[in-house]
Amino acid sequence: MSGISVFINMIMNILSDIVLLIGLIFVFLGMLGLIRLPDVYNRLHTTAKIGTLGAFGVMLSILMRAGFAPIGIKAIAVGLFLLLTAPIAAHMITRAAHRHGVGLCKESIIDEYGEARER
Amino acid sequence: MISLLDFSLIFMVLAFIPCMYRIIKGPTVPDRVVAVDAMTTVIIVMLGAYSYDKGSVFFMDVALVLAVISFVGTVTISKYLDEGVVL
Repeated sequence: MSGISVFINMIMNILSDIVLLIGLIFVFLGMLGLIRLPDVYNRLHTTAKIGTLGAFGVMLSILMRAGFAPIGIKAIAVGLFLLLTAPIAAHMITRAAHRHGVGLCKESIIDEYGEARER
Repeated sequence: MISLLDFSLIFMVLAFIPCMYRIIKGPTVPDRVVAVDAMTTVIIVMLGAYSYDKGSVFFMDVALVLAVISFVGTVTISKYLDEGVVL
């Protein structure tokens, strides 16, 4: 009984380390894109990944470490809330930027929303 | 031996620097809004990791409230930029 419990604990620790590392990689890629990419829409494309995959990965890792204690339940609640609201906020700020008149970068080849608005 | 959670705290502090760069330099208003949104998410993740590190539940409540305020703020600013009015 005790041996199985220790084994499950070890497996959960390794899994939570893997999920935490995935979340940190997505946060790193988001920050890299925030510096390097050319215009608002490309930057938003990467920073939305911080809100969904990065934050949800770290919160899931905390749930795996803490189990169903209050810290774990609240962590997964924060993660699910971010997973639901980050894409909505990203879509709203993108639409507002396009209607506000922020142009696309000069390498972009298609602008379907602008063409649909002109018609 | 530094654990992966402590490393993630250090990493989140370092992740402030690109957000600050984009807030200061960003050419348009939506750039700055995007950077503030990303920085708030980083703060939320940092509060979660710190809460588990210290074994205290209260920082996770702060993270939940900060997530709600960040979402409402972003939606309000985008509505203001889009239509010129709030509500």
